[in-house]
Amino acid sequence: MADISESGLVNIKDIHWLMDMLQTIDVGLIVLDRDYKVTVWNSFMENHSGVGPAQIKEKSLFDSFPDIPEQWFRQKSESVILLKSSTFTVWEQRPYLFKFKNYRPITGSAEYMYQNITLIPLLSADNEVRHIGVLIYDVTDIAVNKLKLQEANNKLKSLSKTDHLTQLNNRGAWEGYLEKEFSRSKRSGQISSVVMFDIDHFKKVNDTYGHQAGDEVIRRTAAILTDTLRLSDIAGRYGGEEFGVILVDTNAENALIFTERLRQRIESEIVVYEKFEIKYTVSLGISEFTTECESYQEWLEQSDKALYFCKEAGRNQSRVFIEG
Amino acid sequence: MTTQVLICDDSSFARKQMARALPDNWDIEINYASNGIEALDLIRQNKGDILFLDLNMPVMDGYQTLEGIRGEDLPTMTIVVSGDIQPEAMTRVKKLGALEFIKKPVDGIIISQILSDFGISLGSESNGAANKAIDSADDDDYDLDDSYQELANVAMGRAADLLARLLNTFVVMPIPNVKHLEITELEMALAHVKSDDSISAVCQGFIGSGVAGEALLIFNESSYADIAELMKFDGEITESAQLELLMDISSVLCNACLNGIANQLDINFSLGHPIVIGQHIHFDDILKGAASQWTKILTIEMGYQIENKNINCDLLLLFTEDSIEALNERVSYLLD
Repeated sequence: MADISESGLVNIKDIHWLMDMLQTIDVGLIVLDRDYKVTVWNSFMENHSGVGPAQIKEKSLFDSFPDIPEQWFRQKSESVILLKSSTFTVWEQRPYLFKFKNYRPITGSAEYMYQNITLIPLLSADNEVRHIGVLIYDVTDIAVNKLKLQEANNKLKSLSKTDHLTQLNNRGAWEGYLEKEFSRSKRSGQISSVVMFDIDHFKKVNDTYGHQAGDEVIRRTAAILTDTLRLSDIAGRYGGEEFGVILVDTNAENALIFTERLRQRIESEIVVYEKFEIKYTVSLGISEFTTECESYQEWLEQSDKALYFCKEAGRNQSRVFIEG
Repeated sequence: MTTQVLICDDSSFARKQMARALPDNWDIEINYASNGIEALDLIRQNKGDILFLDLNMPVMDGYQTLEGIRGEDLPTMTIVVSGDIQPEAMTRVKKLGALEFIKKPVDGIIISQILSDFGISLGSESNGAANKAIDSADDDDYDLDDSYQELANVAMGRAADLLARLLNTFVVMPIPNVKHLEITELEMALAHVKSDDSISAVCQGFIGSGVAGEALLIFNESSYADIAELMKFDGEITESAQLELLMDISSVLCNACLNGIANQLDINFSLGHPIVIGQHIHFDDILKGAASQWTKILTIEMGYQIENKNINCDLLLLFTEDSIEALNERVSYLLD
């Protein structure tokens, strides 16, 4: 096929149209020798880099483009030479080899061009690899779309799990965590506790100050709850004014310390809504995991029973569920 | 005197290929065995003056057979004929007493050369014809899946050789698995990866001369620690480091394997750029984007393992239904 003349340029006279194709194609084509000196550099490379073939020919790629991760590129190339086998890299691995700026004011969707790279061993007549072919594909659109899709999916996922008013887990998500924690405890025997609590006389708050004031009380409660939690604990809004908390690796005794701290903080809180100053309290029921628990629902029900006892005993308190 | 030649290979296709590669002008009687146990039996009955022995076989493999021959001091000259072409495999069989190591697919010229190197005299051109009829008698039981398996065996041997050189270790080569599946049954083609394992997967499309499909590399994520160690990767194995290792391995395996197939079939594949299907996914996630127009596919499963390491990956070659005709035609040339 094409002769390589001594200057390293393909003999244009013989295969003018083929050259034309290689120049015009919207893919970067580079041929490097074993010292990483550039032998072929097509128009795509020239136009995106601003460096013409005459300037870069016979020069080291790394000297001309100091941004290229030299060690990484050498490592890939050496294995291509050693194994005589092509290698592929994708933009997920490394967004680009050459830092080419976005050149499209309207449809350019990223700051830099995302690139997929193929390295090809080029065999000489003696079956030795004396040159490496490098193909640079512009995959910006694909990459940006995929990243956007991932972002949208993550957002959707978190939206579907989050309670809008409090930004806590919603009931479904929280119960999911509780179920996981239940089976983890079953398996490992690690003791965790679950807390159910609600706002005392919440209906009165709503009736006296209006629903928006009620919402503000719920929001404040969630904020205090989040502030009181450890990182590993998982809180959720269970229903209207009901909240659930999973206290991981915590027995009932320590759970009680947590609920009392939370109760006191809320008791001393004053929610200011428009011209009103609202004071309120909460009641909290605790249930420690026991191996007798058959299901996470049963575990949750026990904490609900403890909460019921608090209500019976006068509210603004926390209690641990006791069997019987 | 008629020489007793024994061909031991689990693939009837490979046995046939081997028999056809033997010189025409050689006064021989050919015997066949499909595993080491059968081979040892025939040698004891003096039906194996010369043994052509495959390495990867069920029941008793080539290494065990060589040990058996040495243990009983059986009278045979063994020439190993293998798709596994790792230098380590060569060294191991020579240590176990094999005289020579021939790469699959076998080449008649090389066999004649080796026989004459060993001073085995071949007769004149005329007296071999009758013997050749013996091995063509079983042409009717020609099994296509068997030939795909052999095709894959040779290709995966080349890929294993490159992987072994990349990782500087010995790659254990199992027997490739050929299955005709619905795309939804793909999970049945997996040997080393279970459906609840956390996996990384990469796909690479190939097409050429009417044969097309995708290579799918499924990498068990529990393998990363050992792979990083073999590749002398320093530092923490982050998600991007895993991807780097995954791409290096998939480049080598997919490429070598597909080139191995293409070479044997005398075609050239255009390879697409690999696509990362995902990291930390489960097998079910792979098929989420699968096109439904291919209901039936031909799969060849190759499970690679690294000796003494916790490294498992499955390379699946998936051929589209309309590739089968071209594939069959090409495969049939292999016996000519």
